[in-house]
Amino acid sequence: MKKIDSIYIIDDDPITVFGIQKMLESIVDCPCIDTFRNGKLAIDEIKSRIDTLKPIPKIIFLDINMPIMDGWQFLTEFSSLPITQSIKINIVTSSIDKTDRDRWKKIASNTHHTITFNNKPLRRENLLKITTAA
Amino acid sequence: MFARSTLYTNNYLIKQLPQAITFINMKGVIVLASDKWICDFSPMGDSCIGMSLTDLFSAHSEDWQLVLKRCLSGEPGLPRVGRYLDETGSEKWFELEKTAWHDDEENVIGWIVQGEKASQRMQNEVQLDKLHILSTEMSDIAKIGLWEYSLEDDELYWSEMTKIIHETAPDYRPTLEDATNFYKSGHSRNTIAMTVQRAIINQTPWSSKLQLITAKGNEIWVIVSGKPIYKNGEFTGLIGTIQNINSLTLSEIKTRENEYHLRTLIDNLPLNVFIKDLESRKILVNRSEMKYCGVTKESEILGKDDFEFLDKETAKKSRKDDLRVMHDLKPVLSKEMVHVKNDGSKTAFLTSKIPLINTDGSAYGLVGISMDITELKQKEEKLKKLISVTSKQNEKLLNFAHIVSHDLRSHSANFSMLLDFLTHEKDEIEKQKILGMLTSASDNLLETLDNLNEVVDISSKSGLEKKPIQLTKALRSVKQNLAMNLTKHNVKLFNKIDSKVFVNVVPAYLESILMNFLTNAIKYKSPNRRPEITLRTVSENGYTVLSIQDNGLGIDLDKYGDKLFGMYKTFHDTVDARGIGLYITKNQIEAMNGKVSVESEVDQGTTFKIYFSEKN
Repeated sequence: MKKIDSIYIIDDDPITVFGIQKMLESIVDCPCIDTFRNGKLAIDEIKSRIDTLKPIPKIIFLDINMPIMDGWQFLTEFSSLPITQSIKINIVTSSIDKTDRDRWKKIASNTHHTITFNNKPLRRENLLKITTAA
Repeated sequence: MFARSTLYTNNYLIKQLPQAITFINMKGVIVLASDKWICDFSPMGDSCIGMSLTDLFSAHSEDWQLVLKRCLSGEPGLPRVGRYLDETGSEKWFELEKTAWHDDEENVIGWIVQGEKASQRMQNEVQLDKLHILSTEMSDIAKIGLWEYSLEDDELYWSEMTKIIHETAPDYRPTLEDATNFYKSGHSRNTIAMTVQRAIINQTPWSSKLQLITAKGNEIWVIVSGKPIYKNGEFTGLIGTIQNINSLTLSEIKTRENEYHLRTLIDNLPLNVFIKDLESRKILVNRSEMKYCGVTKESEILGKDDFEFLDKETAKKSRKDDLRVMHDLKPVLSKEMVHVKNDGSKTAFLTSKIPLINTDGSAYGLVGISMDITELKQKEEKLKKLISVTSKQNEKLLNFAHIVSHDLRSHSANFSMLLDFLTHEKDEIEKQKILGMLTSASDNLLETLDNLNEVVDISSKSGLEKKPIQLTKALRSVKQNLAMNLTKHNVKLFNKIDSKVFVNVVPAYLESILMNFLTNAIKYKSPNRRPEITLRTVSENGYTVLSIQDNGLGIDLDKYGDKLFGMYKTFHDTVDARGIGLYITKNQIEAMNGKVSVESEVDQGTTFKIYFSEKN
């Protein structure tokens, strides 16, 4: 099993969070899977990790529609952080709206982080691909 | 040869002859002339003696010289009568006669030429000839035929042209009845028969325009005129003319028809048509234009300009346009203009003005065509409003469709995932956990469907009956329902609404709206302050505006302003925030033709303004 230090799941839907968590447990060896109900909580945690020189997550699963700070706002804030590594951010949404897809492409081409776009439900195979590439 | 004395004697005798006589020798030289001859033909007196006769007349007209030539040549049969102009320019008619001049031995030694004043008869004959030629020419050119009817021997004479008009043979000789029968049966034939009859009885002149059918079967229009003739004061018959005016009449009929067609056309066009002269005075108007100007007769408009019917400003503008069209010689097409009449009524017109141009290239007026588009404009306005409403609704629908699609998808994705887990799960405890999640997912879906249903309900029942409701009364009832909540959070509620304020609303919606805003104000209260809510109303541009002000957490409108009233958007990490309330509230307000706005400052508070339409 591949070993990954830190994974974040940012989603306000507990069922999705449960699902991703459950599948990850059977795929990767990750001692530290953190979950957040919105973008704000996640970005605050990342900022504090940078400040305290703690390792930041390698893989992030990100929902779009969330209260307080949604996925797009999170991406904007995250991109502005001083992170030299390329972080793998996986958008997980039930939106099939073309404008969302276009927005993703635009953001993805403007950052050194790797951003993927995935529709719910996320399958085991998707997760395998994501984690092996990281 | 004459002895000198003889000649002298003869000369003396000849001089005194009462006739104009001259003796010329074989060379044509005048040897002797009577005083009368000298008086009539020699302006230089007796010095003409010794001149040749040809020389004497050399300055005269060719006609006269021809008369002399004919006389001298002696050819028989040719008239030797001509017009002679004397030195004073007065005109006389002479006949020249020549006889041989013999000597004693019957030898011809010269000619005796006698100039006799032509008789009245001769003159008349010549003039008659001329008149005849003239009248023939005239009748040829004007296509006027002559006819004459003699009562005495019941004979009808037709001139050549008359026969040509009737297309008969040149030797055709009609009776009066034949002639009558040429006329087209019916009106024309009856008219000619009666008219001729009357003319014979009453001896009156006449002239009629009739149709006849020629010998070749062609139908033509003629003007036939006649008048009685008399001989020694006694009525002897009729004389008259006949003229073929077919092409003239046909083109006249055609012109009249065309004019009628055009007139009918422009009168029945649903457009105002007019022609103006250089001074912008109307010289032709159609029925629509008359109606617009409020007149029934053309004469009430013709010769008048726009200043008579339109208000000064409109008339000025119109005149300016006219001048430009006539100056630039270019038409102005489909220009939109609002005409204000003297009575203040307004009409929107789409007007085209086309210059009328002379053969010399200058304008002499213009043709105007105006279409009344007032109704069209009103419809356009309505349509614009409708489009705006429709596009708003469309936007709402699209938004709604996205919400539905997104929500249902996320639920179904969860089902799919959980079921997948369940199939592969061996552990019983884990299975129970997944089943519990499935149940909760199902509950969530049901709630979502309820919410969506509520939204659809509002949107589809925008025609719900509105009633005037006393705002303070509605507020009281909501307060009672919220009593527990208000007490629990120690809320200070300030009601500054006048009890006289009534709003036109769907009662259930009003309650729901008030409930929602008040609940929100409590839900998002600041943890650091005692919650205060203030309600006020003002009247503004046809709306009663209710403002609900709180001192709660506030919302960062720069970040969330566009999402505030969207579905499932929450901005505070409060556990029971569902994000559906404001969406439904907004829909209810809009269903009652109202609107809602928001002002907020983070950690200061939020003010929602609800606009209730005062129109029913």
